[in-house]
Amino acid sequence: MGGLDGLLQGFQVAFSIEGLLFVFIGVFIGTFIGMMPGLGPISAIAIMIPVTYGMEPSTALVMMAGVYYGAVFGGSTASILLNAPGISGTVATAFDGYPMAQRGEAGKALAIAAVSSFVGGTVSVVLLMLFAPALSQVAVTFGPPEYFALMFMGLTAISSLSEGSTIKALISATLGFMVVTVGIDGQTGTPRFTFNNPNLLEGIDFLVIALGLFALAEVCFLIINRKDTSLSDKANVGSTRLKKEDLKEMRGPMSRQSFLGFVLGVLPGAGATIASFIGYITEKKIAKKPEEFGKGSVRGLSAPETANNAATSGAFVPLLSLGIPGSGTTAVMLGAFLVLGIQPGPLLVQDHPDIFWGIIASMYIGNIILLVLNLPLIPYISKLLKIPRPLLISLVIIFSLIGVYSVSFNVFHLYVLLFFGVIGYLMRLSSFPAAPFILAFILGGMMEQSLRQALTASNGDYSIFITEPISLTLLIISLLSFLVPLVRKRISTR
Amino acid sequence: MIKTLNQKISLLLLAIAIGYLYLSYNLKEYPYVPVDSDLVPKVLGYLLIVLAIALFFDKSSETEDEKAKRVVPKKEIIVMAAVGGMIFIYIFLFEILGFLLTTFLFILACSAFLGYRKWGTSLIVALVFPGVLYYVFNYLLQIRLPQGILPF
Repeated sequence: MGGLDGLLQGFQVAFSIEGLLFVFIGVFIGTFIGMMPGLGPISAIAIMIPVTYGMEPSTALVMMAGVYYGAVFGGSTASILLNAPGISGTVATAFDGYPMAQRGEAGKALAIAAVSSFVGGTVSVVLLMLFAPALSQVAVTFGPPEYFALMFMGLTAISSLSEGSTIKALISATLGFMVVTVGIDGQTGTPRFTFNNPNLLEGIDFLVIALGLFALAEVCFLIINRKDTSLSDKANVGSTRLKKEDLKEMRGPMSRQSFLGFVLGVLPGAGATIASFIGYITEKKIAKKPEEFGKGSVRGLSAPETANNAATSGAFVPLLSLGIPGSGTTAVMLGAFLVLGIQPGPLLVQDHPDIFWGIIASMYIGNIILLVLNLPLIPYISKLLKIPRPLLISLVIIFSLIGVYSVSFNVFHLYVLLFFGVIGYLMRLSSFPAAPFILAFILGGMMEQSLRQALTASNGDYSIFITEPISLTLLIISLLSFLVPLVRKRISTR
Repeated sequence: MIKTLNQKISLLLLAIAIGYLYLSYNLKEYPYVPVDSDLVPKVLGYLLIVLAIALFFDKSSETEDEKAKRVVPKKEIIVMAAVGGMIFIYIFLFEILGFLLTTFLFILACSAFLGYRKWGTSLIVALVFPGVLYYVFNYLLQIRLPQGILPF
């Protein structure tokens, strides 16, 4: 099996001086961006994509893994120190992390979060390593109808399982799909929705959407909160040492939630948020002293952090083995892979085992570096939060603009970026989720292609989607997923 | 009877859907394929109409959280619009004056406008940050940012 060799090779890249340096840079910048209120892993990855141009793909990969894990951890840090979760995946972290920090044990809370994330992330990568190749074996047999049904399921799942209004999520996904139809149609060469503007012939780049809907839109919230100095007061976090009793407490939640989180992460649409809440609730149910939860319990902090990170790695299973992202974050990650010339999918393990195992190795390294280097550095990184907000806002804006310019070399797309920044902000104000939009934008092109390939093969006969058993099953699951919000509503109104 | 924000949005979406459908029906035909390029857009257009109508009649009221999120002081909206305007000017001048000069001016102007008045620090950041970026992109990554009127 070439797997072990590939893994070793991946480790070799990551453990070279250059590799370590870039993982470190990635983790550092990721943590910093993730700590900013509102800015999450999606913005962090999108902002860093242009930096990877011209880099060796293997080096770029380890750096991106660092950015990703760093940003997730940065989000937890903001939850613990400020009770201000930047992203929904770390809301549950604040339940017990913030009370603990208020007791003056911020350092301990951060250490628990880091160790739990490390364990959850690492266990999950091991599982990913076992499952992803097996799943891609199955997926190699998939044809266009199966792929279409699979992506359809991904889209309906993220819309029906995410929080808030399902209708709004579906509208967001539809709009994302509409935007991707702009440009020359790949199959017939027909220009669509270009208004005779030559700048639109190539369509809109995914970075325009990612940076506009996320980074720029979130800058608006930074602008509103620019006078907020609460961050700089919290620059001292105290000792990050953990006692033996703490580790003993954490053992239970960590071992259970690593597996549960992974499974939930693999499911499209479920992901980190649901995993962290379910993790918190299950641990509270089976705890001997459930009354401690919510008041700074070690278990209450460890559980959502483990589950959250296990789920983020679990989300890589469909991305790597099927080439289909199941969440907003993995959708942007797919964009980052494509920029590096890597096409994830069932053939990745077969044809490019070195890249596949390189990704796995960089996930291990990202996790390790996060624990070894990031945790001791947290006091210093949090000092960076003292950077005056007005300066920071200017720099984030410049980064977003440069990011788009360096893919398009065309000022027109910068105006489009600004436009989507405004749209992203308005969407947030009116509670339209942006994740379905970006996922539909990424999947839309592929979905249309497989739909038309399937129909071309069947000579326009739509029954091909229901006569193929796998595709039929997936479509039924997609429709069933709409029952989830209805059931949830029934429960909540009771 | 257009009361809620959701209903206003739903009308806007309806207009978008109709415009989009109109364009979809006017797409050029390509006769040699069983499925032409207008199929998916048409489906999306009708889907958006259905969803917009569903949103219009959606009874679930906004949560308090969602309402609170929407309250933005007028002053802040003006500030955001002004920053948006500055970005617009930045983009407009980007290829004319070049990356270094426009970025230098943008960082100084935007930070000062948002209330940061330590000119010394501002000046250093406005000089060093674009300089480093320019060097990294142009010389290390081989991505040419516009040179503009400066000789380097």
